[in-house]
Amino acid sequence: MERITAKELPGLFQAAADQMAAHAGELGEMDAELGDGDLGLTMEKGFGSLPEVARDLTGEPVGKAIMKAGMKLSSVIPSTMGFLMSSGLMTGGKAVGDAESIGSKEYADFLEGFAAGIVKRGKCKPGERTVLDAIHPAAERAASLLAENPGASLPKVAAAAEQAAKDGVEATREMEPVYGKAAVHKAAAVGKIDQGACAGWYLLQAFNSFIQGS
Amino acid sequence: MKKIINAPENYTDDMLRGIYAAHPEVKYVNNDLRCYCTAKKVPGKVAIVTGGGTGHLPLFLGYVGEGLLDGCGVGSVFQSPSPEQVYEISKEVDAGAGVLYLYGNYTGDIMTFDMAAEMCEMDDIKTQSIVGADDVNSGAPEIRRGVAGIFFMYKAAGAKAAQMGDLDAVHAAAQKAKEATRTVGFALTPCVIPEVGKANFSLGENEMAMGMGIHGEPGIWNGPIKTSKEIAEESLKTLLDDMPVAAGEEVAVLINGLGATSIEELYILSNDVSSILKEKGISIYRTYVGEYATSMEMAGASISLCKVDSELKDWIDYPVNTPFYCQR
Repeated sequence: MERITAKELPGLFQAAADQMAAHAGELGEMDAELGDGDLGLTMEKGFGSLPEVARDLTGEPVGKAIMKAGMKLSSVIPSTMGFLMSSGLMTGGKAVGDAESIGSKEYADFLEGFAAGIVKRGKCKPGERTVLDAIHPAAERAASLLAENPGASLPKVAAAAEQAAKDGVEATREMEPVYGKAAVHKAAAVGKIDQGACAGWYLLQAFNSFIQGS
Repeated sequence: MKKIINAPENYTDDMLRGIYAAHPEVKYVNNDLRCYCTAKKVPGKVAIVTGGGTGHLPLFLGYVGEGLLDGCGVGSVFQSPSPEQVYEISKEVDAGAGVLYLYGNYTGDIMTFDMAAEMCEMDDIKTQSIVGADDVNSGAPEIRRGVAGIFFMYKAAGAKAAQMGDLDAVHAAAQKAKEATRTVGFALTPCVIPEVGKANFSLGENEMAMGMGIHGEPGIWNGPIKTSKEIAEESLKTLLDDMPVAAGEEVAVLINGLGATSIEELYILSNDVSSILKEKGISIYRTYVGEYATSMEMAGASISLCKVDSELKDWIDYPVNTPFYCQR
């Protein structure tokens, strides 16, 4: 798929919903060790609600539709991770602006906005063992790929972004937790991947699969 | 789990239905039980909105009423309300003078209120925010959790708003109470989140947890239970090391039960606290004993001190009347 319009959003979010549902148990178990244990359920419930929300937004510009879906997400899952994902979608959608559809450039803008939304809401920086450690490298990789090759296709950018997110998740093993319950049990976190970053990677993985047309 | 409920997932909403049925002086807006507002809006007054998870009554919604707060976003047990809910409440209670967001220092709640503030800004509703962060044993001042001491912030801001102070003045009153208030808490038994069905930590039969938070956050030590006098001594040492109070100065004291501790025990503790303060030459202006911020059926208590001057005394003495709390 070369471009995503608002008509494709229900499908894009369905891919995210399926991915979160498939990994809900795993995310929940990771979270139980270092957090509240509700991350899997929260992500499944939150992203599970978005396909229907997006079906009512197919008449909107795609960026605005993503923004509204993000706003809705914060009502469905009012929790820390829900708010970070919500702010990411809202700011990411805003970054797409009035564009008719999302191509490679808009996707990179979306990721940059997504990361900025997380930073603004979470007041966090890269390297602090959060979802940002998956999204930030993905946004950087997408931007640098387009800088090197402005003609790069959407599938190419989405794949590179997903790989960077995956690498970013791996890198959290060495990061010391700053936030939440993990910060209280620092020693227990060392060597393990951050569950929030992992959820961020799964999201970009779902987006990538949808874009590759699988 | 042994609770008087119909279904765990209906715990919060069934509780709210009961409150609305019993107390006509409060209502909900946007067709959402969790958008809790006073039914007695005062024209031109700064509105104060709080919010947080269910499981702490009378915190948070119990302080909505005359002389105190105007609205409260109600989350599920130990969960934040949503930004949209706080925004809808703000639209309802804003009487043209702006809205103060006053709530506890928890990540989810901060995000909720920040997002609600951004939504209000688009509607030209002025907001300011301040968090309660009084739990001394939970870390450095800026990261401390908000617990029972928020009561004094509610009293100060509520009185200032009732006296028709502007938004800056109401914020300043809350800030002044915040700077003057510290709390130490301790738990004896855990509580059970209805939807989880089992306790999220355990303590031995003869153990207590000093510094535990009101959601069961780990404290600074777990060990054999001490006497009321020993607990009062350790708690007051922690409080006064963090906020020195000289002989001759005055404090208001709040002895708060966490839900399952008897009022009798709270008075035993209150007696020890007052004796120690007396020995130090610190005068007690007013003592509150009872349940002000609970953790469902957790056993335990907290001790809060608010160092008062004449202005804080006036705010603390200001009469209030809510379905959960009345002071003449």
